[in-house]
Amino acid sequence: MQILRQTNLEALKLAKEIGPEKVLDILDRKNLVGRGGANFPLAKKWRLALKNKNKSKEIFLICNADEGEPGTFKDKFIIKNNPETLIEGILIAAYVLNAKRVFIYLRNEYNYLREELEGKIKEVLKKSEMENKIDIEIVRGAGAYICGEETAIMQSIMGYRGQAMYKPPYPTDEGLWKKPTVLNNVETLTCVPQALLYEDWNPNLRLFSISGDVENPGIYEWEIGVKMSTILDTIKPKQEIKAISFGCFGGVMPLDKNSLINTDTICKEDCQHGAFTIIFIGKNRNIVDVCLSIAKFYTYESCGKCTPCREGTIRILNLLKKVRDGETDEKDLKMLGEIAEHIKETSLCGLGQSSTNHIVTSLEHFKQDYQKYMNKK
Amino acid sequence: MKTKIKIDIDGKTINASPEKTILTICRENGIKIPTLCFHKSLFPEARCRVCLVEMNGKLVTSCSTKPLENAKIITNSERVIKARKMNLELMSPDIKANELASDFEAKEVYDQVGIDNERFKSLKDYHPDLGAAIVRNNNKCVNCGKCVQVCGKIQEIYAIDFASRAHNEHVTPYDEKKLEEIACIQCGQCLINCPVGAIVERSHLEVIKALNNSEKHVVAQTAPAIRAALGELFDMKPGTLVSGKMISALKKVGFDKVFDVDLGADMTIMEESAELLKRLKENKKEKLPMITTCCPGWILMMEHFYPELIPNMSTCKSPHEMLGMLIKSYYAEKAKINPKKIVVVSIMPCTAKKFESTRKELNTGVDYVLTTRELGRLIKMKNLDFKNLEDENFDSVLGLASGAGDIFGTAGGVMEAALRTAYEISTKKKLKKVEFKNLRSSKGIREGIIVLNDKKINYATASGGANIRKLLRNKDKYQFIEMMACPGGCVGGGGQPIYSDEKILGLRAKALYEQDSKREFRRSHENPIVKDIYKRYLGEPLSKRAEKLLHTKYSERSKF
Repeated sequence: MQILRQTNLEALKLAKEIGPEKVLDILDRKNLVGRGGANFPLAKKWRLALKNKNKSKEIFLICNADEGEPGTFKDKFIIKNNPETLIEGILIAAYVLNAKRVFIYLRNEYNYLREELEGKIKEVLKKSEMENKIDIEIVRGAGAYICGEETAIMQSIMGYRGQAMYKPPYPTDEGLWKKPTVLNNVETLTCVPQALLYEDWNPNLRLFSISGDVENPGIYEWEIGVKMSTILDTIKPKQEIKAISFGCFGGVMPLDKNSLINTDTICKEDCQHGAFTIIFIGKNRNIVDVCLSIAKFYTYESCGKCTPCREGTIRILNLLKKVRDGETDEKDLKMLGEIAEHIKETSLCGLGQSSTNHIVTSLEHFKQDYQKYMNKK
Repeated sequence: MKTKIKIDIDGKTINASPEKTILTICRENGIKIPTLCFHKSLFPEARCRVCLVEMNGKLVTSCSTKPLENAKIITNSERVIKARKMNLELMSPDIKANELASDFEAKEVYDQVGIDNERFKSLKDYHPDLGAAIVRNNNKCVNCGKCVQVCGKIQEIYAIDFASRAHNEHVTPYDEKKLEEIACIQCGQCLINCPVGAIVERSHLEVIKALNNSEKHVVAQTAPAIRAALGELFDMKPGTLVSGKMISALKKVGFDKVFDVDLGADMTIMEESAELLKRLKENKKEKLPMITTCCPGWILMMEHFYPELIPNMSTCKSPHEMLGMLIKSYYAEKAKINPKKIVVVSIMPCTAKKFESTRKELNTGVDYVLTTRELGRLIKMKNLDFKNLEDENFDSVLGLASGAGDIFGTAGGVMEAALRTAYEISTKKKLKKVEFKNLRSSKGIREGIIVLNDKKINYATASGGANIRKLLRNKDKYQFIEMMACPGGCVGGGGQPIYSDEKILGLRAKALYEQDSKREFRRSHENPIVKDIYKRYLGEPLSKRAEKLLHTKYSERSKF
């Protein structure tokens, strides 16, 4: 796997030889984009922060390891299997941005990885002789999904309630303690030294987190545009697959064996993709049950700040429970769709806006599953 | 300043500043947009999502969004109205528009949006927090967060914040305690910023029982700031003085006597200025600057956060507590009434006064404290046609005040009144001009210098918690400081009618200054009743009897 290639501080050495400007040029040329989900070009983000250099000497760097998307576990995979390269990526970013303080926001549930990661940080810092030049601090996540969102993560690091803030100002202008702040995902930062060092580095390879009704769940590396049938051949479904979900974010879609998995397919019908996460759902399952577990997740994870998400998600969950218990009618289904659309349209942050994708898509593609429950009584 | 851009709002072309939010632009152009969580002086949190409008086909919150060039904005499409309605219904399924008190900000919002109470049922089940001054009922709360913001950012008290997540998110004092168990100053600024009445004052309307009891002699005393604001509850213009109608209404409601707390303020000035002159003479560092104590919110703030200032505090009770004592002693003796039969009801612009009246060390003469809003309710209960009541006068025994007492109701007023008396008593000269213009600005912190017998005295005033904290950072520059916990002083108190615009505070203050300018006596020490009280009863300021009746002490409280 490309992501497991070790760079052994060679990339850092190279970066220091050629200087920050050239590093940015190479990253641009290699077409390295953010892997957190928004596909924002990395060098562009760094330049946005560097633009503020005159205003503020200090730039903060945050490594987002608060991987909370259900079904996604690629960052854990990297932290476990290639932490040295990740840390080297952090050092290169800090060098280019002239950042003296770096925060690794580690998901609360990954705390068991902390000690080992701390050891690795010390080791790499010592080897690179940067111990006194940079301070890398691991912040234990506050246990909320929303803290993976860029403004909430900063609130949390500063010790406030992890809630999404209104943008602008953007983090690259005013982030942590009102200083320009760059936020990069674990996978992105790990790619930095690899992209710098290896001429044959492939920007189109992505980590896929595969789970669900399959024989071989796990992390895979495929190119964007991989055929669904190729994926199915590798992961071996346990039963016939009727639906897939690109993380909870992505809603529930019917399986199309011939589809190509790229940003477009995933984004089709307004379904945003978080990362390349695919949960396979077998035909023996009722989609309402799947939606119920997704709804439970969102009802717990809403931060509570804005009305539609705070009050709407619980209504969705309650309506779904009614559906499951066969106590509902067409009117309730209409209401379900109405609230789902409403939350999507009027919520403050990305979490709220996509928290009902599963309802919108399942009502469209799997109405028969709802009907099945409704006819139970 | 960037040049203006062209935008289209509801089909009308408007040249607007790209720096302003859509909400501000709409308001400037007379387009009403409903909102619950927007506060003029605070950064928009965009929580409530009621101020939605369409910009270029997308729903956005107008309070936090600035317009794009050539944007097409629609404020009243079916889509907008439907989304606003859904958000209102989701956040407060139990609120019925017709049951909302008309003085709550949300009334207009609910009327404009219109909601249907059938669609959702409330899921909230909280225990109300019943304090001596403030009652919070989270079951009515719409999580707009204004109380949290005002408490933190404007008052800098940080007594309340949000806790828990998702639909369980709720406003709470630290550690789910009651407001009275934590460092809350009871100022009530949360309350006047609550759009739906989830936070209200602890009602003392049980006073009706006393009013109906013929055995009791029930006396009302009204604070200066009431007369400048009460009219607003009866659709009168902000800044209309309604003293005469107020007294008339109180009599009709059943009070036996109506006295003027402005007179209590005169008494406070006599004691406080004597105290100031004494301290200046002694020149003991630890007792200067001397700080005023009329404001019970400030006293709580001091006891919680600045107990080291206890030696600096004047020991004077607040004006209504002074007058309360005098009603039950001086007046009772004079009118030959058994003090035990007298019930003293203070009408105050303040919630913290309710808490103050529970303080044991005050040995208080005050039995009930009603806010301006409660008085309004009492008058409405009796179905009085307030606007057309005949004017009446305060009862003469304790009913004449000086202009100095009147201006206690606005920030800077106590200082101005005290300086008038302190100057004339210490220099034995008359002030050429009794108005202190520097104390009448709209600033949160006001300061100046006065020369008393060749000695320069630096003085300053602060109103609003944040300004108090700011002033205290430089307190050693001054010899005399006035503190008021609410922005603008008592005219902006937590017991006052809910106001939508800070300009209204200026109008209320102006009314008080006007009353001052029309008074026969404008200095507290000229007030004939004050003279009589000292001659017959107290002797002189700071006498033994005065100390016993009119002074108090303070004690440290926890910071949490």
